[in-house]
Amino acid sequence: MVEGIGAKTNSDVEATLREDTEPIIICREVNKWFGDFHVLRDVSVEVAPREVVVVIGPSGSGKSTFIRCINRLEEHQEGRIIVDGMELGHDIRNISAIRQEIGMVFQQFNLFPHLTALQNITLAPSIVRHRPRAEANEIAMQLLERVGIPEQANKYPGQLSGGQQQRVAIARALAMEPKIMLFDEPTSALDPEMIKEVLDVMKELARSGMTMLVVTHEMGFAREVADRVLFFDHGRIVEQGTPEYFFEQAQHPRTKLFLSQIL
Amino acid sequence: MMEESTTPVPGKPMADLPSSGHMKPTVHNEAYFDEPERRRPPITVVGPVAWVRANLFGSTLDTMLTVVGSAFLIFTVLTLLQWSVGAANWYAIIFNMRLFLVGRVETFLDLRLSLLALYIALVVGVNLAAWSIVRARVWQMWLAGLVSLFVVPWLIEASIALPPTYLGAGQREIASGSVTTRPLERVAFIAGEGEELVFTLAEFASEEELARLSSFTDVVTNTLRNAARNRLMEQEHIATIEERLAGKRLTEKQRAELEAEQAESELPPPIREAHQVSVAPVSVSVRTGWNDEELASAIIGAGDELRFTLPRDGWYVLEKHIPANDESIGLLAVTGVYPIFDRSFIRDGERVNQYVRATDRLLIEGGRPREADGSDMLMLGIIDHQYKGLRGIGNFLRVMVAPFLQQINLSLTAFSAFIALGYFGAVWLKQREAHFLMAVRRGAIWLWLALIPLAFILIIGIGDGGPVQASDSQLWGGLLLTLLLTAVGIVVAFPIGIAMALGRRSSLPAIRIASTLYIELVRGVPLITLLFMSTLMVPFVVPSLGGPDSAPYRIMIALILFSAAYLAEIVRGGLQSLPPGQEEAGKAVGLPAWRITLHITLPQALRAVIPALVGQFISLFKDTSLVAIVGLIDLTGVATGIAGQTEFQALRRETYFYIFIIYFIFSFVMSLVSRRIEASGAGAARRE
Repeated sequence: MVEGIGAKTNSDVEATLREDTEPIIICREVNKWFGDFHVLRDVSVEVAPREVVVVIGPSGSGKSTFIRCINRLEEHQEGRIIVDGMELGHDIRNISAIRQEIGMVFQQFNLFPHLTALQNITLAPSIVRHRPRAEANEIAMQLLERVGIPEQANKYPGQLSGGQQQRVAIARALAMEPKIMLFDEPTSALDPEMIKEVLDVMKELARSGMTMLVVTHEMGFAREVADRVLFFDHGRIVEQGTPEYFFEQAQHPRTKLFLSQIL
Repeated sequence: MMEESTTPVPGKPMADLPSSGHMKPTVHNEAYFDEPERRRPPITVVGPVAWVRANLFGSTLDTMLTVVGSAFLIFTVLTLLQWSVGAANWYAIIFNMRLFLVGRVETFLDLRLSLLALYIALVVGVNLAAWSIVRARVWQMWLAGLVSLFVVPWLIEASIALPPTYLGAGQREIASGSVTTRPLERVAFIAGEGEELVFTLAEFASEEELARLSSFTDVVTNTLRNAARNRLMEQEHIATIEERLAGKRLTEKQRAELEAEQAESELPPPIREAHQVSVAPVSVSVRTGWNDEELASAIIGAGDELRFTLPRDGWYVLEKHIPANDESIGLLAVTGVYPIFDRSFIRDGERVNQYVRATDRLLIEGGRPREADGSDMLMLGIIDHQYKGLRGIGNFLRVMVAPFLQQINLSLTAFSAFIALGYFGAVWLKQREAHFLMAVRRGAIWLWLALIPLAFILIIGIGDGGPVQASDSQLWGGLLLTLLLTAVGIVVAFPIGIAMALGRRSSLPAIRIASTLYIELVRGVPLITLLFMSTLMVPFVVPSLGGPDSAPYRIMIALILFSAAYLAEIVRGGLQSLPPGQEEAGKAVGLPAWRITLHITLPQALRAVIPALVGQFISLFKDTSLVAIVGLIDLTGVATGIAGQTEFQALRRETYFYIFIIYFIFSFVMSLVSRRIEASGAGAARRE
């Protein structure tokens, strides 16, 4: 087990063992509409702790909406979503507390442009966790080292490259010590030269045992890192399986068509 | 490795690579990753002529616009300059300076308001140091400006003598339009100890000389001078008609018209001869105003001169008449007798009359000498003694510029000294250690915040008696009131505006509808309506605000409500300009909604709308001029009040021109500050 941020401490071992036996994310028959448009249809998935799930599918298939439902940036209208034992529903009061368990990385980075890289990372921990400034800064610096850009700590997002910004965004999400990380097409807005540096960080994260849900078009990443691949089309999970199964033995004609077009 | 400016392209063979020998397809070399040598861009525009040609006469339309525009500009500026130097009477400003600045506030407020102004100067200085560095050249120019404020009036007074005053004497009545005037037998004037009076008989070699007469004059002299000018103009007019008639190319119709005009024109008799100006000797006698003792007397004929020194400060009486000739008007040229303004105000419950000499603001309190019938003796007031567009530049400098500069130089110096004190103090602090910069910046903001209670205490005061006696809010006026209303309108309305902007975006329908309703209601009516509503309706809601001394507060409420609605819309615009990802990112790290607003969306939204915010502040500053309509005496109200006084009735142009300049200076400074904020780190640099 890796020492440091994001790694689980000894006192968590028991809980981790218990958690290992039951899924950390449970989706049952989730349905969602945008107006009349049926985005998610009866999506049922369970994600085990420390599992890396890659979600792929054509654009408009509902994969982004699906992972945004998991931290309730979007609200589902039917079915149940249970994260870490807490059900997301209309009557939920402590949504902020649940979101603190779930880190999220966006396609457009969404760094706060008026704060430095360091301040971006320390903002939430110092407000929500009441960390003293010195401690928050120290942890933030460790995270920046982990994502490989400690020298950029005092720069503003506008002064960083896309890849650097996305790595700061990952560090920002990790600063809350989440149990789950959601990635919404984290490399889609990047120049080809910068994709690798972000994927490397994500691979390191997966190896450290983080539960991850990744929407991506990076098939290489899926093949190498994923425990399971979900294929979405028209708001449904059409097919799922291990990368080996998915990329070589997919059965569904839609999956075959998709794979034939991108591989 | 590369001496040439050509850049090797990987994968593309470079035939001319020096001594490469084997023609490698790519160049893998450390030096390849170095940045290629930089070149400066070529200079395209050379010299001012080229600049003018490119920018002012680039196309036909451009040329036309340049010609028309500059003609208009030159004409306007010249007219304005000619008027302000030659004709304008700036005494309306010089004498009402206090009224313009603070209205009619009690005199005990003067010290407190000065302290407040100096504190603001200090804060401005600290802020200048905290947020930017002022170049040394700016300080040098500023210092030079201050020194010249003292040197220039001194030079003017040393090199240019005060012009004489012209006073008429005699028994004749003179018609001027529908009014007839007769020279005064007695005139009261004030003078200082040791001052020398010089009397001579003004002589005029020609009609033109009389028409050009320019100085302080009494009604009779004015009338004569104007009559002479009118005659000269008529003479010129007739000459023009004759010249045109002598010309050849005239149609019958034109000739007939010109001849009719010629028949109508009639040249009046020469004024000097008709009124026998300065023909007979004038008898002059000067008496003290306090015990009617004769100090000097003489009969002054052509070439005579009466000259003597006055014993003390006070009122004097000048008696003048022509003993021999009933048909003659004598014009005396007098040095030492100058026009006076009078003003009265309440001091400690008693009415005080002050008399101020125009040329140097020599001030005498207490009533003026009385005529035999008990009425106040007339004095030389400014209204009848205006310049009529004939003043020379020297006269203008001596009579208008020097007194004005002497009036403002001390206060401006004190203000500047405190700006410098704040600036250099803060610079010294922040250069001691690197991390002091943040402390200085925090301090600069705290100093602004401390201004609010300080201004509150110094302007309003607490209780009766004591060191900060409460002031009468009905007497607040002038620039003080304008700035007070603006400051309150900004400081109080700003948080309300933010709350309304957030309210209008709230997901709770009650708050959203209430905010929207409020904003639309206020934005849907003119400010003047709000001012009237507030004046008339606030007493219903809050009876304690019904009294006349609450008038400024009622107006403040209206201005706050008004500017909050506009600020709300500006802030809402800023919030809407943010990408939704900002809020989502805040949610995703688990921040509660109000924390997202406070730390993420609001700071960015406010930065984005700084120009619009400052625009609204400037707009509010200018809009406060409307309060004059509901009875507050702000800067505009003061100007209107001054223009309404008999003394200054004829000086409306000068009065309104002056507040025009004051409004502009303040607005311009605010706009400058906004541009600096935009250009600084707070704005653009962070979102490049």
